[in-house]
Formats: sequence, structure tokens, C-alpha cells
Amino acid sequence: MLVDFELIKRAQGGDSAAFNEIVLAYRKRILGTITRLIARPEDVEDVAQEVFLRLYFSLDQLRTPEVFEPWLYRLTVNAAYDYLRKQRRRQEYRMSDLSEQQMIMADALAGGRADQDQREASKTRETVDALLGAVSEADRILLVLKELDGLSLKELEKIYNINENALKVRLFRARQRVLKAFEGVTKRKEPAKAG
Amino acid sequence: MQPGSDDLDALFRAYREACRAPEPSPDFMPKLWSRIEARQTFTFSFRRMANAFLTAAMAASLALGVYTSLPHRTATNPSNYASYVEALADANSIETPDIVAPVRLDLSGQQ
Repeated sequence: MLVDFELIKRAQGGDSAAFNEIVLAYRKRILGTITRLIARPEDVEDVAQEVFLRLYFSLDQLRTPEVFEPWLYRLTVNAAYDYLRKQRRRQEYRMSDLSEQQMIMADALAGGRADQDQREASKTRETVDALLGAVSEADRILLVLKELDGLSLKELEKIYNINENALKVRLFRARQRVLKAFEGVTKRKEPAKAG
Repeated sequence: MQPGSDDLDALFRAYREACRAPEPSPDFMPKLWSRIEARQTFTFSFRRMANAFLTAAMAASLALGVYTSLPHRTATNPSNYASYVEALADANSIETPDIVAPVRLDLSGQQ
């Protein structure tokens, strides 16, 4: 826990300074999680603010401060779900905004600016984002929390309110689907290299 | 070569390194508080409107209740009669001339 129970209780009682402290303690962690969940840096702060906004208006529903962290993660997951659902609807429209030539130019410009390390990092990000984009929002969120945020099974149990076995099954299936997408990406790259 | 589970783990590790949590912008907190205040204002005005509507509805139902409970039966309005017999009795009261007309005996023809 990054904050003590007393602070949570004070925030529940309507203490704005206490709420401010909670946000300051958790915002970086939440920003990190959302960055990995939604993969659009320009919208990360907006979604994070939505999480804390929901926290502010639902804090009085939290019965025990001990479950604060899983609860905050649940709010984060829900906000990310909502964002990804909206995003999926907008995606086709956005892609049609840019012509192929414009996309090539933008890529070249970005590539020219970045140094080798940054290019590698952005390539990794793009690959993982593409893999996670190929599976459902539910799989994406579960894998991000487990594999990228490093949450334990116990923590995930509390967030998802399901038992360990059910969680393991869901994780296994999600990983299998990502692996399948990974195979697809590798297959597409191999003929390109050969050609 | 087919990528395996270990390759996926390695990719995730590389991603963790490549994708660090961004620093929050300086206006993160002011923007958050302005969003909270905007939501509060909206909720407050909505609640006020709902309260006003509820009060008006309660006043109207109270007034209607009082109006219906008042005895305001009038003889001219047939809908106020409790039963058909009552209505019939009122329409044909004993004093009504066409029912209880004076009996006239014409005895002139007999003589």
C-alpha cells in the first residue's frame, strides 16, 4: 500500500487534501498501467483522470480500506475497457484519415528523429501493442496486468473476484491467443526478409 | 522458427523496459480538480431539479387527494349517486306530478 488506511478514511469523510495525497501517491503507477493498457500516449492522462474522478465519486462505497488497491485497479481496468471500446469504434475512421503516403512520411520522420535505442524500444512497443491489439480487450487487460504490470495471482484474484484456478485458465487461454498472433507476425516477417 | 512461450516472455520483458510510466504533466492535478468540480456542479443542479420536481409532484398528489376526499356531491350531477336506485329515486321523486298526478273523476257521462 502506498498510503495508510487513515488517509483513505479521511478522504472518505470528504477531506480534499487527503484525496489529493492519494492521487499524488498513485498517479504514476496508474499512468504506467494505462499507458500499457491503451497504447495511446496522448490519451493516457485523460483516462487516468477519469479513473481518479470515478474514485472521488465512489470512495464512500469502499467498505474496508484494506481492499483499496485492488479496487483502484478495478476502476482502472473499467476505465480502460470503456476507452478501448470507444477506440475500436473510432479506429476505422482514423485509419482512413491518413493516406498511405502520409503514413510513410510520418514513419520516416519519426525514424529520423529517434536514435537506435529509441527505435528498438519503439519497435518492441509496436510489436507488443500489435499482439495485444489482436486479442480481445479482456485478454489484453488481463495480460497487461499480469505480464507487464507484474501483478500477482492473489492481486488479480481480488481485482477480478474469481478464484485462482479460473484465473489461471483465463490467463492460459489469453497467452495462447497472443502466442497465435505472435506466430502470425513472425510468419509474415520471414517471407519479407527472404524476399 | 515458431515463437514459443519463452520468446513471448522475453518480448514482454523488453516491453517493460521500453515502456516506462510517463511523468504526469504539471496540469494533471488542476485538470482533475476542474473535472471533479464540473461533475459536482452538474450533479448538484440535477439533484436540485429532481428535488423541485419531486416537491411539485408531492404537492400535486396531496392537492388531488384532498380534492377527491372532500364531500362535494351535487344533485344535478348523476355521477355522484352511489347507486342506480338512488339516482332513479331522485329523478322520480314522490312529488313529481307526472307520476303522482291528481286523480280526476269524470262523472258527467254516467248521469
